[in-house]
Amino acid sequence: MKKFIAMLLMVSMMLTMISTAAFADDSAEIYMFINSPEYADAVEELIAAYKEVAPNVTINYETTQNDYPTLLKTKINAGECPDIFATTSGKEIVSYLDYSYDFSAEAAAAAMTDPVKSVMMYGEEVHGFPIKGNYFGIIYNKAIFEEVGLEFPTTFSELEKACEAISAAGYTPFSTGFAEWWVYKHVMQHFVNAAGDSEAIVNSIVAGESTISDHPMIYDNFFNFIDLVVKYGDAKPLECDLAGEEAAIGTGKAAMILGQGAWVEDDILAIDDAFQLGFNGYPVSEDPADCMIIAGSDQALRINKDSAVLQDVLDFVNWWYTSDYGKAWFTNVAGVIPPVVDAAAPDKEVVKQGQVLEAEKGAGAVSIVYSTDSFHEACGVILQSYIGGNVTKDEACAQIEAKWMDLDGTK
Amino acid sequence: MRRNNKSAISQNALKETLLFTLPALICVIIVIYIPFVMAGYYSLTEWNGISKTPIFIGLENFKTIFSSGSPEFLNAIAFTGKYTMLFVVFTNIFALGIAVALSKKFRLANFLRGMFFVPYIMSMIIVGFIWKFIFTQGFEKLYEFTGWNIWALSWLGDDKLAFWSVLFVGVWQSLGFYIVLYIAGLKSVSTEVLEAASIDGATGSQCFFRVTLPLLGPSITTCIFMAVTNSLKVFDIIQALTKGGPGGSTYSATLDIYREAFQNNRYGLGSAKALVYFVLVLILTQLVLKIFERRDVDL
Repeated sequence: MKKFIAMLLMVSMMLTMISTAAFADDSAEIYMFINSPEYADAVEELIAAYKEVAPNVTINYETTQNDYPTLLKTKINAGECPDIFATTSGKEIVSYLDYSYDFSAEAAAAAMTDPVKSVMMYGEEVHGFPIKGNYFGIIYNKAIFEEVGLEFPTTFSELEKACEAISAAGYTPFSTGFAEWWVYKHVMQHFVNAAGDSEAIVNSIVAGESTISDHPMIYDNFFNFIDLVVKYGDAKPLECDLAGEEAAIGTGKAAMILGQGAWVEDDILAIDDAFQLGFNGYPVSEDPADCMIIAGSDQALRINKDSAVLQDVLDFVNWWYTSDYGKAWFTNVAGVIPPVVDAAAPDKEVVKQGQVLEAEKGAGAVSIVYSTDSFHEACGVILQSYIGGNVTKDEACAQIEAKWMDLDGTK
Repeated sequence: MRRNNKSAISQNALKETLLFTLPALICVIIVIYIPFVMAGYYSLTEWNGISKTPIFIGLENFKTIFSSGSPEFLNAIAFTGKYTMLFVVFTNIFALGIAVALSKKFRLANFLRGMFFVPYIMSMIIVGFIWKFIFTQGFEKLYEFTGWNIWALSWLGDDKLAFWSVLFVGVWQSLGFYIVLYIAGLKSVSTEVLEAASIDGATGSQCFFRVTLPLLGPSITTCIFMAVTNSLKVFDIIQALTKGGPGGSTYSATLDIYREAFQNNRYGLGSAKALVYFVLVLILTQLVLKIFERRDVDL
């Protein structure tokens, strides 16, 4: 009996081997390992739709958020670089140049919107495509502002007055999320943008050619802003994380949250579906024109240039970015800001208000991408010490400059 | 003839020993020794952990650690040292105390032993998240009910308090393990000796400090040694509770090495730090072993 089972197993194994060998000719397997698990269902749908277009192509999709970069590095070092992988956009491409394919000649590259494309470039080469476009700004509770009879403040002094009024009405003006290192980079980029040519400024500090104190928009305005939001913020600022911010604004306790964007809208509405969401830029200075939102993408999917199925991957990406289904997918299935030209916007408050603001005042660049996340994490730690009262402003600036030069300098 | 027999037996024994340890040995070699040797190689290179070719730079990474004085690494080592000292003291004192109480015969003794052991079988990360919730949401509610200021303190958001929070959760989690070791030790203390002592007129505390405690010597050595090695490796509980924050105040040495290798993308420097830390730990554990070995002989 045992012998019979063993024989059966052997035969079936050989049959599968023969059958896979026979069909291997025109079928391809694409291994896609990316982060952003919040879009897992949408991506599954996209893959199912592509299966109808190209039945021979199988896409193995894997996603995780926690520790994604470490897992990716492990896979790359094990010689299993995924055919499609994700990193942050902008400067991080330098680390991954050995693996990333330049697809500037492809239709997908031509379909990208300009703000998105600009952060996917390395010189003249296009090295990535995002799963979504993004808006960054302050999300606020319109109902609270109506109750105190104020418009959303677009200058710093108006913001101070608004904070006083809101806190007098018994609400917490700000929930800050200062326990998360990435909240700081999302806030700080608005001030770097307002300081002038943000890329040049970042590069000059990294090169040691200027200091933070040379840029009053960062040295004064940014730190004043931090002081203000700590004063009018959560009781335990360094304990508040993303979930804390969402809870604070969703339950109507806080009037504004920092460092967030379109991605928190669903969560807030899940807490209170009648929430009146407002979205605007940061009141960085006394000039209302400086109060701008930021548009672009801080995530990039990259194509493995040594992929065994490179042409199939390119076909898939081109289909995703240029076909009617693919374009509509961003809006209707994923519900994100489409990173491609001529696609409709999804029905989201942040997106709708963002588009109005962008048309009215323009939008800033995603200047976080001029630095690496290594720097941003270190910078977040330093700003936490500043908020905790362990270092003065000048000490914090000196430490930030040192980290910028050390981690992002020429290497 | 006899001698031949003996050597045949010992050869057989040798074969058996080899055969039985081989599977474990292979596993250990693959997951520990080979990576260890590779880390030794990477510590001599400049490598971001991604690019295809690490650049050989000799001892440059070690120079960076020792000369330019990496203050973060020093802080992390100081943090780990402080954590280790307090962790060893607190776990052993509390575990011994509770073990003595639980080895008395009373109704709920077995149930309580189980209760104390439960945290130890939970994953560190889960314990961390549970306590993170208690420290933030739980304490807020407690403050609303009681109005006591102790609940209003920012236990994870203040850099001085965060150390104590991490230490507290670390001790709370591992207590069960040491309690079990001590209970086993207490069981092996012969009742005859204790009886003899009490007949000679020793009081309860004299019995404990003069008889039980010295006879517990081997258990104490084991527990202290385990506590030292476990606390020097502390990583997951901090990762789950504070991620090294606020303001980098709770970075342990292992967390700093992880940060250097994976966040700062300096795999070479991270490997070098890991080697330096390895030597430090080696010296420290040998010292601890030596000290307690000598005491064992005295007992």
